[in-house]
Amino acid sequence: MATTTADPGSKSQAQLIFELKQRQLNRFKMGVWGSWLVLLAVLLLAFSGINFEIGGFHFRTIQLDFAFIRQWMPYIFGGVGLTILLAVLSIALACILSLLGALGRLSRFPPAYALATFYISLIRGTPLLLQIIFIFLALPQLGIVLSGIWAGVLALGINYGAYMTEIMRAGIQSVGIGQREAALAIGMNQSQIMRRIVLPQAMRLVIPPIGNEFIAMLKDTALISVTGFAWETLWRAQKVGRANFRSLEALLIAAVFYWIITIIFSAVQARIEASLAKGDRGR
Amino acid sequence: MKPIVRVDHLDKYFDRLHVLKDLSFAVAPAEVVCIIGRSGSGKSTLLRCINFLEQPDHGSVEVAGLVVPAEGNGREYRQQIHDLRLKTGMVFQSFNLFPHMTALENVIEGPVTVKGTAKEEAIDLGMHNLTKVGLADKRDAYPSRLSGGQQQRVAIARALAMQPQVMLFDEPTSALDPELIGEVLNVMQQLVEEGMTMLTVTHEMSFAYQFAHRIIFMDDGRFVEVGPPGQIFDDPQDNRTRQFLSAVGRFENK
Repeated sequence: MATTTADPGSKSQAQLIFELKQRQLNRFKMGVWGSWLVLLAVLLLAFSGINFEIGGFHFRTIQLDFAFIRQWMPYIFGGVGLTILLAVLSIALACILSLLGALGRLSRFPPAYALATFYISLIRGTPLLLQIIFIFLALPQLGIVLSGIWAGVLALGINYGAYMTEIMRAGIQSVGIGQREAALAIGMNQSQIMRRIVLPQAMRLVIPPIGNEFIAMLKDTALISVTGFAWETLWRAQKVGRANFRSLEALLIAAVFYWIITIIFSAVQARIEASLAKGDRGR
Repeated sequence: MKPIVRVDHLDKYFDRLHVLKDLSFAVAPAEVVCIIGRSGSGKSTLLRCINFLEQPDHGSVEVAGLVVPAEGNGREYRQQIHDLRLKTGMVFQSFNLFPHMTALENVIEGPVTVKGTAKEEAIDLGMHNLTKVGLADKRDAYPSRLSGGQQQRVAIARALAMQPQVMLFDEPTSALDPELIGEVLNVMQQLVEEGMTMLTVTHEMSFAYQFAHRIIFMDDGRFVEVGPPGQIFDDPQDNRTRQFLSAVGRFENK
């Protein structure tokens, strides 16, 4: 690094300040990591089954049935794939519905606008759990019979689609008026402008918030277990937990799996977000 | 000679504000007209009414034989506006390049998507226009990698690629750093020399003085003074013109 000081061995003022800030930042990071480890250790200790005494106080921790855990963990883990699959299918449906919803919300054609706002109001005005049960249990009365998985995907997709409409709308609206005017000036029509100019720019903007929705969705797939016909993570945990009177262990296993996949997908999302941000600068 | 642009009794309102007041003028082929005036005088609105980015409220616009009235609706009317836009090219103050496309992609977007030109042909045409604005080597650069002056030159190439009969420039250098204005004016000068019909809203008085055939000075939605640069700049008749020109340092108001 080039410095203007006469002595080549000494560091410049800027370099010293930079290093000081780096040290402060590192100290913060180490502090956070250390605290996380302590919290995790306390949590593990709470489930360790070890009894100990500090200053005359007896501490009893929770005794888990590790034989049960070893025996049933693979079975519960078998639902993780379905959990992820359900979330992927549902988010795909939600993306399509929210895009249509956003186009409706922005439309100046009254029926399209009304349909979009009606959809959003209806779906946001009723509980997700009710929607899942409704599609699974009430629709068969009308002759529409869906498997637990498809009922769940349909309900989650429709529900998240309504919430994500606002994300899509914001993405589309964030593309400046100047872009539309430039496209109009070269003779493009509304659908060409939407397809070629607005949506490609809007999609880059909505990827991070849709990633957040996906992570939330991963856990809401657990609601599909109420149908009793989607053998995802929570359904499996409940089943073996009840059958063996070991719900504590079974639900803990499921919780750990949800937590781990959430951490993994959050990391993936952070990377996507970082690379999108970099792309903006690098382009 | 038959005019290529004719604006006839044009009126425009923004809500209750009367921003263009019964304006009429005509532009001859290869003529360069510069519209000057204070901000808020209606000069940009007038330019944007010519390609219907703003819908005028009364009157009509004619470009290369196509007359489009201010009032109308339906498919046929929209088609007329579309055809009118194909006859005009526009350059904006803030460039408005498409950020997700390279320089060349920006330039060929109109020919390929709107005109249905074959891609190879559009690329030839696009490179021809990028070369004209001196940016052939930037064909694969995204707008964020280009300077303001370079972006505006790509925007000019994009407009030219549609082979318009009239170019509309809406304050093309107002968003540029001073040292980048020259490169854009050079490209515009080149177009003047090639005989392009140009309507330019500008604050670059030296460009207007040197290259315009006619100056329109606007104030409060009206044409205050119209004439050749020598007359407007050196011998302004109206007091408002004098005030404006002395404010921008082009006239000694004695």
